[in-house]
Amino acid sequence: MPEHAQRRAPVPEPEKAADAKELAFEELRHMIVSPEQEQIVEIRSRIESPERRIEDVSAVVAEAIQMRRERGDAAALSQALAPTVQETLRESVQKDPHVLAEALFPVMGPAIRRSITETLRSMIESFNEALEHSISVQGIQWRIEALRTGKPFAEIVLMHSLVFRVEQVFLIHRETGLPLEHVTTPAVATQDPSMVAGMLSAIQQFVRDSFASQGESLDSMTVGGLEVWIDEGPHAAIAAVIRGHAPADYRIALKECLEAIERAFGAAFDDFRGDTSPFRAADARLQALLITQHRERQGTIRKPRMVIGGSALVVAIIAGWISYVTYDVHRWTNFARSLGAHPGIVVTSFEKSGGRWHIHGFRDPLAIEPADELIRNGLDARDIDFELAPFYSLDDVIVTQRAEKLLAPPSGVNLSEGRGTLSVTGTAPSAWMAKFRDRAFMVPGVTLIDASSLRDSEIVSLEATVLTFPVGGAQLEPGQQEATARVESDLKAILEYAGETNQQAAFSIIGHTDSTGIEGPNQLLSNQRAAAVASTLIRRGIPKSTLTVRGVGTSEPLRPEDTEEGRQLNRSVTFRVNLSPVSATP
Amino acid sequence: MLQKKICMLGSFSVGKTSLVRRFVESIFDEKYHTTIGVKVDKKVVRAESEEVTLVLWDIHGEDVFQTMRMTYLRGMSGYLLVVDPTRKQTLEDALSLQARVREGMGQIPWILILNKCDLASEWEIDLDRIKILQNGGQPVIRTSAKTGEGVEEAFVGLARAVLHSAS
Repeated sequence: MPEHAQRRAPVPEPEKAADAKELAFEELRHMIVSPEQEQIVEIRSRIESPERRIEDVSAVVAEAIQMRRERGDAAALSQALAPTVQETLRESVQKDPHVLAEALFPVMGPAIRRSITETLRSMIESFNEALEHSISVQGIQWRIEALRTGKPFAEIVLMHSLVFRVEQVFLIHRETGLPLEHVTTPAVATQDPSMVAGMLSAIQQFVRDSFASQGESLDSMTVGGLEVWIDEGPHAAIAAVIRGHAPADYRIALKECLEAIERAFGAAFDDFRGDTSPFRAADARLQALLITQHRERQGTIRKPRMVIGGSALVVAIIAGWISYVTYDVHRWTNFARSLGAHPGIVVTSFEKSGGRWHIHGFRDPLAIEPADELIRNGLDARDIDFELAPFYSLDDVIVTQRAEKLLAPPSGVNLSEGRGTLSVTGTAPSAWMAKFRDRAFMVPGVTLIDASSLRDSEIVSLEATVLTFPVGGAQLEPGQQEATARVESDLKAILEYAGETNQQAAFSIIGHTDSTGIEGPNQLLSNQRAAAVASTLIRRGIPKSTLTVRGVGTSEPLRPEDTEEGRQLNRSVTFRVNLSPVSATP
Repeated sequence: MLQKKICMLGSFSVGKTSLVRRFVESIFDEKYHTTIGVKVDKKVVRAESEEVTLVLWDIHGEDVFQTMRMTYLRGMSGYLLVVDPTRKQTLEDALSLQARVREGMGQIPWILILNKCDLASEWEIDLDRIKILQNGGQPVIRTSAKTGEGVEEAFVGLARAVLHSAS
């Protein structure tokens, strides 16, 4: 307190009282206002010191701006700050454009993409209009597809128009041109990535130096069917080698990939000294850019459909062919089997060659005609050749047929063959019976004959004959001549057959009477009747030695005598035949 | 894999391309020199027990028709400055170029290549200047693209210098 000290300096005696009062007043004043004075000094020093003012403002500037904005006066605040901010940015860009470029890079990408999307959309709309009047068949198909899928027509058109395959993707360090990572589509021939990346960088720099305005760069190159799309970030460039024409949104994919890599590998870029190993982690991101887009998306569907359809058709044809072949083999096998089952046919083999079936075997002439069997089975005779050699079949049916054909049995005679024995049944004339005995063994397949059930038709006829007489008479009734002649014929035939078969025939002529009258005379009458017939036959040439006469009276009636017809039949003569082998003459 | 961008610098027709033609991997035609002014090749060397891929930017020499693009040098780790000692001017041009590079790119490892050492009798350059450079610590290697002498040594030497510089 120098001022205070000066005020306390010694003063003359007369003034002491006044000084004492002054001093007391000063002390009192000091006691009362000193704190405020010190505060005023402090405030003044803060106001007058720029450093202190900055310190004070910095402590409240954020809150002040916030408060101003909350008061709804943000526009005024923006207007106030805008010139300063603009000037700051301008100075920053002039000083080092990379700082701001790097800071804005993450937000520039989406902004640019949005702009590109808008541009692309307007382009699509224009394209859509241009195609509105397209009346090509494909255009109509695409329009139908647009209606079906609900997509804009232009999108469908673009989708069908684009064909591309990304064959290589380079991640290149911008400053050095060194390849940080390189991925390729399998089976694509590539050059050394170090040299290619270097040349891409060189070309990029050449174009930038020679033609581009500030900040511009080479976005794409086209060589024949190849395009190289390049996108650059602050540290790296990404280059995609594309065969064909990629859609515009592929560039967005490139940008997004590059942005992601820039964000993820910021530290690696800063520390990059030629060691590319940290960037292997970007491989998956780059691999995702190796896209192959076929010409028509439908094509990917249509192709398999075509393949499936074609395959199905081929399978169906093969299956149909196999089924037909199987069916063909089956029916011809059945035919061969059924043909071989017929009596008189033996099938030894059957096969198909030269497009025709061939059946080998044997056939008895009496067997069925194979051609008829073909017709019955609905088969075409043009598809088969029969190679059946003739032979004599020993099948019972065939032997029987053969015997019937050879022996020509008369009506009433039945032939059957079994195990070599030819059996004959029925009634046959003695002449045929003699022929049968002569020829039966000539039938191939017949080793024995059985004629035990065969009866001579003349014997049957003779034994069925009844010559009737009037009541009490021994003379034939009128009208019996024809019957008598038939008896004569039968007797002669039997005698001839007996002679041919080395047998001896004996005929019994039996006389009958009805029951009227008494037994004695009836017996006599029956004898007379038999003798009368015998006499007649002897007169007609029947050897007497073969005839035996016997009267039986009423003891062997032919019919009951309850009617006149029955009694008449009992007034008759009947015949019995006995054939016996001729005994050998000693 | 360690990769380094290396530039081949020097006046027109000092033999840069001959050096890379026989001793490095190349897929590009030399016509790039006359179009965009650079051709990129590759040379793998072993230095400091490490395999290093040198991506060589063979930059077309300056002449009356073409001026070297300095942007091609951006990001290089080192360079070979090639001189044709049979033409005195090429040394002057090389040293001038080196000064420009140092000014624009800063201190970067480099090796002075005295090419065509198989024609030593025809050399015109002032060898005293070379000695001064060598005494100042600057590596100088004599090479012959014709015989191959010193070529491998030049690449390995530069790779080694680059690795030392990086460490």
